Amino acid sequence: MDKPSRHATSMIDPTLLALVVKGDQQAFSQLYDHSSTLLFTLAVRILGNHEEAAELLQDVYLEVWRKVSRYDVGRGTPVAWLVTLTKSRAIDRLRARAARGYRATSALEAGTAAQFADLGPSPFETQADQELRIAIGAAVAGLPQAQQQAIELAYYEGLSHAEIATRLNQPLGTVKTRIKLGMSKLRDGLQQCWNHGELQ
Amino acid sequence: MTHEEIEESVPLYAAGALDRTERQTLEAHLLSGCASCHSALKDYQSVAALLPLGLGPTSPPRALKATIMAGRNPAPIPAEAAPNEPARPSLEPGEWMNHLFPPVAPARSWSLPWAVGLATLLIVAVGGYLAWHFATQRSVDTSNIQRLEASLQDKSSKLADVHREVGNQAKALAELRNEMQQRMNEAAEAKEQLAQREAELEETRVQLSQRGGARTAGTPQDELATLLRIPNVKAVSLTGSDMAKRAAGFLLYDSRTQKVWLYSVNLPECPAGTTYQLWAIHDKPMSIGTFHMDRGETAHLLVMKVPSFTDAKTYAVSLEPSGGRPQPTGPMYLLSRS
Repeated sequence: MDKPSRHATSMIDPTLLALVVKGDQQAFSQLYDHSSTLLFTLAVRILGNHEEAAELLQDVYLEVWRKVSRYDVGRGTPVAWLVTLTKSRAIDRLRARAARGYRATSALEAGTAAQFADLGPSPFETQADQELRIAIGAAVAGLPQAQQQAIELAYYEGLSHAEIATRLNQPLGTVKTRIKLGMSKLRDGLQQCWNHGELQ
Repeated sequence: MTHEEIEESVPLYAAGALDRTERQTLEAHLLSGCASCHSALKDYQSVAALLPLGLGPTSPPRALKATIMAGRNPAPIPAEAAPNEPARPSLEPGEWMNHLFPPVAPARSWSLPWAVGLATLLIVAVGGYLAWHFATQRSVDTSNIQRLEASLQDKSSKLADVHREVGNQAKALAELRNEMQQRMNEAAEAKEQLAQREAELEETRVQLSQRGGARTAGTPQDELATLLRIPNVKAVSLTGSDMAKRAAGFLLYDSRTQKVWLYSVNLPECPAGTTYQLWAIHDKPMSIGTFHMDRGETAHLLVMKVPSFTDAKTYAVSLEPSGGRPQPTGPMYLLSRS
């Protein structure tokens, strides 16, 4: 693995985006290096397909290049912005694909917990990213599987609680409660990291 | 939806599990400025945005960066200049972060809550415009109606003026007619008085003539000229008989003066011992007078005074022995057209 993974994804400086706004190609290159692994991981998680994830990432970065001036530091960290953009575009693709009658089967049915379960350190990650990944992974893994599944169906597949209830053949109220409790636990579990400034 | 229900939907919103209607309800609630829901959403969205960081990392293909770097435009497009995309995706960058912090500046990202806010603003603006437009239109219509009413009143006033004017003119015309009729009556009266005066004058002349024999009033021709101006004089024309085809006559009778005037032309010369005699024939011939045509004489004026003459229907001139006869005995030379 090369350069990208050696940058702390969670520590992307908002000034880097400010340079990209001005057309700084070097800054854009750095932004890619900092974030591409995280975004590609997210895209693969949602789309379940490396090739399509690469296509998506290409679209996302070109959109970032074009619309970077819309980023408002007052509304969130650069990582949060990039994650949200990537997730939105990936779910759009997922829905378009569903509209064409194709269903992704690899992502969810391969077992979601397994991806969070891989909490071992990667030799190419920065220390900060590694700690963060472990903290978040632990928080997710600490959820009851039903809650984790409900959250992942909403978050990574863009399903509403009603659609999740149908998919899981569970009462709607149960699904809502699972998501609500799961999110509360994640919040509480990450509160410590949040308070220590590790999450920006 | 109660506040408790809305508050409970905050973690579902952060996870992306709400349907469109529920999302809009919560976003409307957040836009209303609920601080506790803002705070809760800030926490949950921060968690949600970090979830992918917990995934096991997968590196993108190495060639992807080169492709992306080569595929860019020369320079990033500022938000204001970015072209409108025909089909906006369901989610926009920053959507989940919109309520991390209360906005201190106009939103630069097109997140859904702000889109809803803008849509609300747009609806209010459009509603306001429509209300304004309606009010303006109504005002314009009212103004037009008032203007038309004013115009109508003006026209009615002018029409009344015209009617009044026409009435005045008709009245003036009637007055003029009356005046003209009066003038005509006066003229007729004056004419009659004039004729009366002329008749009196003629009478005076006759009396003067009878008294003094002097012809101070003028010749019979002058009298005839005066007589012709009197309208109520009876006039009869006479034509020549087979005895004198070229002869003609013209007889006038003035009832006021009881005088007969016979003006004859082209009667033959009276043979010796004869005379022409004028007859008025009613039931029987009545002699009016005799006159003589001398040699070389072509016209003769006979003026005679007769008491009753108007009843006669026919007039004639015959040639009689000198001195005349009580009844016609000789041939007729002039006859009136009956």
